[in-house]
Amino acid sequence: MSKEKLRSGIGIRRTREDVIFDSINYSFMVLLCIVMLYPFINQFAVSINEANDSIKGGIYLLPREFTWNNYAFVFQEASVVQSIVISVLRTVVGTAVSLFCTAMVAYAIAQPNFMFKKSVTIIFVMTMYFNGGLIPTFLLMRDLQLIGTFWVYILPGIIGVFNLIVMRSFIEGLPISIFESAKIDGAGHFTMFFRIVLPLSLPVIATVALFVAVFQWNQWFDVFLYNSSNPTLTTLQYELMKILQNSNANMSATAASAFAGSGSESNSANMVSPTSIRATMTIVASVPIIMVYPFLQKYFVKGMTLGAVK
Amino acid sequence: MATPSINSVKTTPVPVPETKFKKFMKQCSEQKALLFMTIPFVIWLIIFKYVPIWGWTMAFQDFKPARSFSEQEWVGFKHFQFLFTDERFLGVLRNTLAMSMINLVLGFVTAIGLAVLINEIANMGFKRIVQTISYMPHFLSWVVAASLVSVTLSADGIINEILATLGLADEPILFLGIGEMFWGILGAAETWKNVGWNAIIYLAAISMIDQEQYEAAKIDGASRLQRIRHITIPGMRSVIVILLIMNIGYILESGFEPQYLLGNPMNVQFSENIDVFVIKYGISMFNFSLATAAGIFKTVVSFVFLIAANSFAKKMGEGGLF
Amino acid sequence: MFSKKRIMLGITLLFLLLTVVGCQSKAENTDANGETKDSGEESGSDEVVTFSYFNGFGPGKDINTSETKLGKMFEEETGVNFDIENIVGDVNTKIGTMIASGEFPDVVQAQQATTAMIDAGAYVPLNDLIEEYAPNLKKLYGPYLEQMKSEDGNIYLIPFGADNGYIAPPNVVQGAFWIQRQVLKDMGYPNPKTLDDYFAILEEYYQKNPKIDGADTIGFTALTYDWRFFAFSNPAMHLAGYPNDGGVLVDMDTREATVYTDKEIQKRWLQKINEINAKGLFDRESFTQNYDEYLAKIASGRVLGFFDYQWQVSQALNNLATGGDPYKEYMAFPVVFDEDIKDQYMDPPAFVASPGLGITVSTTEEERVKIIKFMDHIAKEDVQKQIMWGLEGETYEVDENGRYYRTPEQIEKVADQKFREEFGFAYFEWNWPRGEGVFSDGNAWEPRNQPEVAALAYDETDNEFLEAYDLTVFTDLFAEPEERPWYPAWDTPIEQGSPAQIFQQQSDDLMKQSFPKIALASPEDFEAEWNAFVDQYRKLDYKEYEKVLTESVKKKYEMVKGK
Repeated sequence: MSKEKLRSGIGIRRTREDVIFDSINYSFMVLLCIVMLYPFINQFAVSINEANDSIKGGIYLLPREFTWNNYAFVFQEASVVQSIVISVLRTVVGTAVSLFCTAMVAYAIAQPNFMFKKSVTIIFVMTMYFNGGLIPTFLLMRDLQLIGTFWVYILPGIIGVFNLIVMRSFIEGLPISIFESAKIDGAGHFTMFFRIVLPLSLPVIATVALFVAVFQWNQWFDVFLYNSSNPTLTTLQYELMKILQNSNANMSATAASAFAGSGSESNSANMVSPTSIRATMTIVASVPIIMVYPFLQKYFVKGMTLGAVK
Repeated sequence: MATPSINSVKTTPVPVPETKFKKFMKQCSEQKALLFMTIPFVIWLIIFKYVPIWGWTMAFQDFKPARSFSEQEWVGFKHFQFLFTDERFLGVLRNTLAMSMINLVLGFVTAIGLAVLINEIANMGFKRIVQTISYMPHFLSWVVAASLVSVTLSADGIINEILATLGLADEPILFLGIGEMFWGILGAAETWKNVGWNAIIYLAAISMIDQEQYEAAKIDGASRLQRIRHITIPGMRSVIVILLIMNIGYILESGFEPQYLLGNPMNVQFSENIDVFVIKYGISMFNFSLATAAGIFKTVVSFVFLIAANSFAKKMGEGGLF
Repeated sequence: MFSKKRIMLGITLLFLLLTVVGCQSKAENTDANGETKDSGEESGSDEVVTFSYFNGFGPGKDINTSETKLGKMFEEETGVNFDIENIVGDVNTKIGTMIASGEFPDVVQAQQATTAMIDAGAYVPLNDLIEEYAPNLKKLYGPYLEQMKSEDGNIYLIPFGADNGYIAPPNVVQGAFWIQRQVLKDMGYPNPKTLDDYFAILEEYYQKNPKIDGADTIGFTALTYDWRFFAFSNPAMHLAGYPNDGGVLVDMDTREATVYTDKEIQKRWLQKINEINAKGLFDRESFTQNYDEYLAKIASGRVLGFFDYQWQVSQALNNLATGGDPYKEYMAFPVVFDEDIKDQYMDPPAFVASPGLGITVSTTEEERVKIIKFMDHIAKEDVQKQIMWGLEGETYEVDENGRYYRTPEQIEKVADQKFREEFGFAYFEWNWPRGEGVFSDGNAWEPRNQPEVAALAYDETDNEFLEAYDLTVFTDLFAEPEERPWYPAWDTPIEQGSPAQIFQQQSDDLMKQSFPKIALASPEDFEAEWNAFVDQYRKLDYKEYEKVLTESVKKKYEMVKGK
């Protein structure tokens, strides 16, 4: 805090350029926020609007016929609660494991004199551009006996090559002087990794953490492939997909009865539709993960001063 | 035991390899910490990423999942032939390249621009809010995003209303019905959805820049734009180059969801890309072989572009990827 | 100081996370162990056996059948229940991985991957099992057993729906040309027979009412989005007096299947669209709107007419039915090209042999017997009544003539999804052995086809229109379907990746690309656009497709008629 004050103290001499720049920039940002926020306001409005009414479209910022039914429909499933636990677990565990492993390899291949620097980098990078295909991967997971386990969510993704390269380039960007002085003090690689690189790379670690966490949180395809018949390992995204499909069934049942003429108001009030469930899903699934960002932000909004470490 | 001496006698004429080997072993023991840090993960990599490559053989078979490897029927390049001789393949390839290049250029420019602009916000609270909000659309599924895009561009959507109010159009324009506009629409949609997300990494890069540089520049009287040009952008340079090289490797990946969802009979000649083509003629026909063949083709192209981009970057004096 | 704190914090955090991982792994292990024990116990006791049922059609909740009222009853009778897993993603992918690994759930309904399952030898032949253990199943499917046999003479699948006598559904559930009731009312209840009649009505009303509720009137809209495009290409077939055989017309005498996409009838349909487009009657957005936008448009009440299948627009129709203005609802007409064509919109009695459920090779001999006995139980007529109608006094009543009906309260009750799930309708109505048509006592197999149920459900406005057109039920406007033993031709199993299947996709792609151009061309360019399309179309291998379909049609015909 004191640092910021100090900095803005320097900025007291605001030039005309500053004023113009800031006003343009701020207005642009406000506009940007409106454009970026709109879909969520819209989806929230649809999610609290009566499903039968939503079919007509034309809901933008506010619901027309307010209801919590769509949320009730989603949360009436006991499996949703269970799935949230697994989703959180795989996000936390997956992120922690991946961060640690990725950072370690990144550190190694960032060392200028590491004997396998180039070859290790290349064999990692190559895997970004090919995959053996669905079936061989499936058979591998089966042979490793990962199917039906929690670890099938974690092990295949312990290192993301993209993240690895990003981390490497950040570590390479750290001033060499720090390493040299540490070496003179007799620090080994592990000491340097834990005591210098990790703390100094917090911005990139936060970034990669976010990438991995979002990836883990949003995954549903591996649940579909490997654990679809194991209800204890289902994730939120997968359950929501299921509920979305279910809303179709619900829809046609209600529609069929309404078509037979009995579609009274009371009946349609309980109705859900794919559109409204999709909106509800968007809110339910994205709000928790969006909340992660502000917590990580403090690691790179401020910017850091290497001087503080020295 | 006389053998050791014989051996040593025999090996004396070739002392070079031994010293090389010794040197190697010495280096290994010097760098055992680094080896310890990488070897387990290289093994992991080989198991999880390289072992499944045997699946590439499928591209040369009429793969039937029920048969064992030895029972598969080998068909040579049949699936590649199907892919490359299909009348529409050239068009599909063109669409893929066009869309991924637009995404590449737009994606980079907008994300870097946004990161720089966000960095220029002095008010911490506002900065955080902007950052969080700007990355939110990334969490929309394409189904939702595409339907919002579609509504926005429809005859009574907001764009047409603005055009009508400004008197720029006599009658509503069906943007999604004009094939030529599809790439642009897709690029805009991708940007809207992902610019905030893509900017995160540049923000991280900016935050690694030593703040003292800014303060020194300020004292030297550098203007805002000068500081951006001479401190912020160079500070992101290595990350930009690395990301650019990696993304050039993805030249044939332009995604399929938005194309599939925003595609319609009127723009299909511009919206259909390789992935959509492969889904239609591969996966949905239970033809895993065709999908694999397309995958191999993409990989080959990726490698060519990747290596070219990498050596170009190195020639330009940048670090390069490897 | 600051730096040390950070480092310590970082390290502590990492260790904390790693500890969590450690703990988690333990927790997971016990979890997995707990599970295996559970299932061990279950199979140990031979009272009730649980089988797995993978349903590739979905949608639905994953449950054990015994959690429903019907399922519990069946379990008590047979000692068998099922864990149902519904597909969530792509069927081909899921089935592909199953086949590759050779491990299957006990019972699989593979939907479009069915032929792949059979090719892979994943299903066991049911012929002997049915013969020996399933007399009721044999009775229910009696007339169709021959058709259920695959190339090698084995029965691998039990399909869903063995027709037992024809009954016309009271309400239109298939394709038709729809007109808004307001239009009909204002114009004195006209009854359009031909396509020209139909559009003349829309046009006249459109001229008089350019705006509805302040918004521009839309004369005629169409659904063309994604795989639903057939709603735009199929009308030609219906207008020419054929039922929905998919992409072909089947000659009633020679039983040759021919594509009609490049034929005169398709041209005539497109020309009409081209004509109404020039008049401004055709919705400009027809080719750009997605499914949701299409439904929203119909639900908005400003569309005068459209062609579609009821099940595609049911959401919008439902919205209108509950929306408060009954005149915004639509009425369906069997429109044809010329007066002398007899309409064939109604589905003839049909037998769809695939998909169906099959028992997989992952089961033991003993298990197969148990499963087939369960299916046999389901196939009993009184059990079918339970599945379709429910329980007397609870979900239906019987009058003094033995006719089944539902009270308005019961209709309300069975429409509630929650009730349907708890009772089991939602799980047993489809994807299990089932009949169609009429029961031996004359009641409709499906309640929705029982005229008594429909009549009770008609409201005032429904009756106004029934009277105006002198109908008892709405389908009285439609002609009775003629006998077409092969129907539906689109059910023909087409080998995955074969030239015929590739043709289907190519033809579909080409139509999607060309039809908008043809339809929206200025009338003087129509011929040129159409000819360009025909040229391209004829380059495709349609002959192969016709051959495959003709063979199948003929085979099916012989199976039915040859007996």
